[in-house]
Amino acid sequence: MTSSPADHPDLPRLRRRVFLALFAALAVALHTLEALLPAPAPWFRLGFANILTLVALFCYGGRAAWSVALVRIGVGSLVLGNLFAPGFLLALGGGIPATALMTLAHRVGGRRLGPVGVSALGAAGHAAGQMLIASLVLVRHPGLWALFPFFLLFALLTGIANGVAADLVLDALRGHPAFSAALGVEEER
Amino acid sequence: MALTSLWRRTRPFDRVVVLLLFILCAVLFVVLRPGPPGRRVVVEAAGRVVFTAPLDQDRSFIVTGPLGETRLAIRHGSVCIEASPCPHRVCLGMGAITRSGEILACVPNGVLVRITGTASTGDRTEPYDLLSR
Repeated sequence: MTSSPADHPDLPRLRRRVFLALFAALAVALHTLEALLPAPAPWFRLGFANILTLVALFCYGGRAAWSVALVRIGVGSLVLGNLFAPGFLLALGGGIPATALMTLAHRVGGRRLGPVGVSALGAAGHAAGQMLIASLVLVRHPGLWALFPFFLLFALLTGIANGVAADLVLDALRGHPAFSAALGVEEER
Repeated sequence: MALTSLWRRTRPFDRVVVLLLFILCAVLFVVLRPGPPGRRVVVEAAGRVVFTAPLDQDRSFIVTGPLGETRLAIRHGSVCIEASPCPHRVCLGMGAITRSGEILACVPNGVLVRITGTASTGDRTEPYDLLSR
C-alpha cells in the first residue's frame, strides 16, 4: 500500500472491472433463484436478472451490458446444469435480442430514455426471441405464435417492473462515491 | 401514490416506448387471435401425424412418445391432455383447446396436438396424409 486508493491512475478501470464482476455474479444468483420459483407456464419468467444488465448498461455502457448478460446466461446455465439444453437455447435466444435492443435503445435514446423504457424494449425483444427459438427448434408449428400476445403482455409488465427496480438500484448507487464517476459520465451525455 | 412515483420514474421517451409496445401488443392480440371453432384434432409425435379424430365425438386416446404415454381426451368439442409422463406437466397446464389453429404441446414427450378444420387452415408445410383431410 504505497499510494492511497484515491489517486491510483487505474482506479476507475479496476472499479469498473470489480463491479461488473459483482453485477454478473448477482445476475447469476437471480437467474438461478428464478429457476427455482414455480412458473405457471414456460416463458412466464420474471427476468429479475435483467435488472443487473440494466444497471451495467446505465453505469458502464453497452459492452458492459453484453458481458453481464452473456456471463449470466453461460454461468447460470452451468449452475442449473442445462448448458446447451433447450432451456439454455431459450435463454440465449431471448437474451441476445433483448441485450441488442437495450444497448441500441440506450445509444439512440440517450438521457431521454430511462431504465423503464429500455427494460420494456428488452423484455419485448426477449419474448420475441424466445418465441422464435421455440417455434424454430422446440415446437415447429406456426400455431405457437397465437400465444405470443400473452407472452408479450406479460413480458411488458415484468419489463416495466424490472425497469423501476433498476432505476431504484441506480438511485441508490448514485449516492455512493464509488459510482459518482461512472454515473456522472452517463448523466452528461 | 405508488402510481405517481412510478410516473416520476419514467422519462419522456420511456412513456412513448411503453405506450408503443402496449399498442403493438394490442394489435398482435387482434391479428393473432384464434380462428373459429375447429373440426378435427391432429396429433403429431416426433413430427409425424400419428392420430386424427373429429372434435365432436367424445373419446380419449393414448400417444406414445420417448418418455412414455400421453393421454388425451376429446370432450364437448375441446381437447386436452389428461396425463403425461413429462417432468413439469406444463402440457397439462395448457388446458383445453377448441379453436382452429390452437395447439397443445408437450415438448419433453414430443407430442403436439392441434386443431384444424376450417377453410383458413390451408396449412403450409405440414405433410397431410389422407386421414387428416
